[in-house]
Amino acid sequence: MKAILHVIEYDFRNFFRYRWFIAALIAMNLADLFISAIVFTQMTRGVVDYFRFFAPGLAVVGLFASAFMIGREINMEVRREIHHYMLSLPMTRTELAIGRVLAGGLRGMLYMTPLLITNFIVLRFPTLPQLLLILLTLLLLAIGISGVSISIAVSTTSFEKFVTARGVVYYMFFFCSSVFYPLSIIQVLATRGLWPLVTFAQVNPLTNGSDLIRSFLLDSPEYVFSPLMLLNIAIFSGLFALLATFAYSKILQRQ
Amino acid sequence: MGLKKLWFVIERDLRMFVQYKFMLIMRGIWFVSQVALFGLVVNKMVEKAVANYFHYYVAGVTIITLYSISMFIGYDIFEEAEHGVFEYLLTLPVSRRELVLGRSIGGGLRSFIYIGPLLVVVLFILGVSNPLYLLVALASLFLFAFGVSGMSITIAVAMKSGDKYDILIGVLDALIVRLSTTMYPTVYMQQAMPTYATVARFNPLTYAADLFRWGTGVEKVLQFSPLVGVLGLFIFFFSFTFVGVVFYEKRLEGGSWQ
Repeated sequence: MKAILHVIEYDFRNFFRYRWFIAALIAMNLADLFISAIVFTQMTRGVVDYFRFFAPGLAVVGLFASAFMIGREINMEVRREIHHYMLSLPMTRTELAIGRVLAGGLRGMLYMTPLLITNFIVLRFPTLPQLLLILLTLLLLAIGISGVSISIAVSTTSFEKFVTARGVVYYMFFFCSSVFYPLSIIQVLATRGLWPLVTFAQVNPLTNGSDLIRSFLLDSPEYVFSPLMLLNIAIFSGLFALLATFAYSKILQRQ
Repeated sequence: MGLKKLWFVIERDLRMFVQYKFMLIMRGIWFVSQVALFGLVVNKMVEKAVANYFHYYVAGVTIITLYSISMFIGYDIFEEAEHGVFEYLLTLPVSRRELVLGRSIGGGLRSFIYIGPLLVVVLFILGVSNPLYLLVALASLFLFAFGVSGMSITIAVAMKSGDKYDILIGVLDALIVRLSTTMYPTVYMQQAMPTYATVARFNPLTYAADLFRWGTGVEKVLQFSPLVGVLGLFIFFFSFTFVGVVFYEKRLEGGSWQ
């Protein structure tokens, strides 16, 4: 456990090296909320209160982007062969891998906190059990995203390939989810023969994450909490955390 | 000023651009996902407010893509400073002015070449109602692309650190795109916050997006005269190309980029 904490501490120190980058990311996220979402609210009158709808989605977008940053660092370490130093540390490969996956997730939680607080301010404050459930869900989601990111990072040999793969994953997860628009509207794609995208949107953990927050903060009958949401995210998280741990510990020692 | 030498500089930037194949592929994927997913779904969401938002958005995304590709020349300048390529460029038998002007033109031209195939797809989706209007709109996009390249060069040479440049460009990108009519009409910006609409009226992305929509027939009437739009883009192009060239030229002297 102590070894894992050391790895987490190492990744957090690295995270704070990019504080200006993080500040810029938060500024961009807030611009999405306080410019784009406010304008779209005017355009979607009578359909959805877009500002209130989008705010929880924004927290999930921020969580996704920041939890994914760990992959960029690991890919860089692999390319610059810093992983040899990491492998020389007095800890098992599994501890190292678990530490990296958890650190990626926890960093995502830290980044997302101001966005979540903004949600509470502009929507409403949840009850304590609701808050705990939101935090648990987002932590699981962040760990799963960190797992996806690390799996891609150790499977790609160049930064450009990593960036391309990251782009594809980003756009699939963002645009095929209820982060930007309600699931009921995404279903229109099925009428155009794009039903695989609709199915993906339904099982997308970002859909379940943002809809779970909406169910607690929006007081709307359209969004009702279901344990299946949590189950979906738990399965995603478990699957990709395991895959990343396995891939990180196996692929690194092979190089 | 030798045109042949100027062309050599432009050609070098065009060749450099091909090296970023993964970045170009990624931008292409972004464009497709914006059009095929975001555009289609949001079209459904706002159909009561905006008739055929899909076409409106496709034109806007084209301008956003052109803007982001034109901004890329700034990253090249930082790469060159970091890897000592500046010194090599200064040894070439081209004047400082030819070098700087060539970079500015090369930056704009390569983004236009990149956008070319996407533009064909976009014109297929949007259609063309008046070829003359379209030609005026495309000429304006040329001015826009060169102006953005000049702006990117100006910002890049004014900053010492690549990281700071990256951050500033990110924030600028967030504001300049969102405070323009690339994604939504001015009337809704006015309703949301009058300040947003005021800023959008002076935004070059607004001029480029609205002129492109006018050129393709997506919008029959503009909030400003097309002549004002072209003039606005010309001023943007002229100011930043001039400022960029002067800044870059000065910075090349005495190794101040180091």
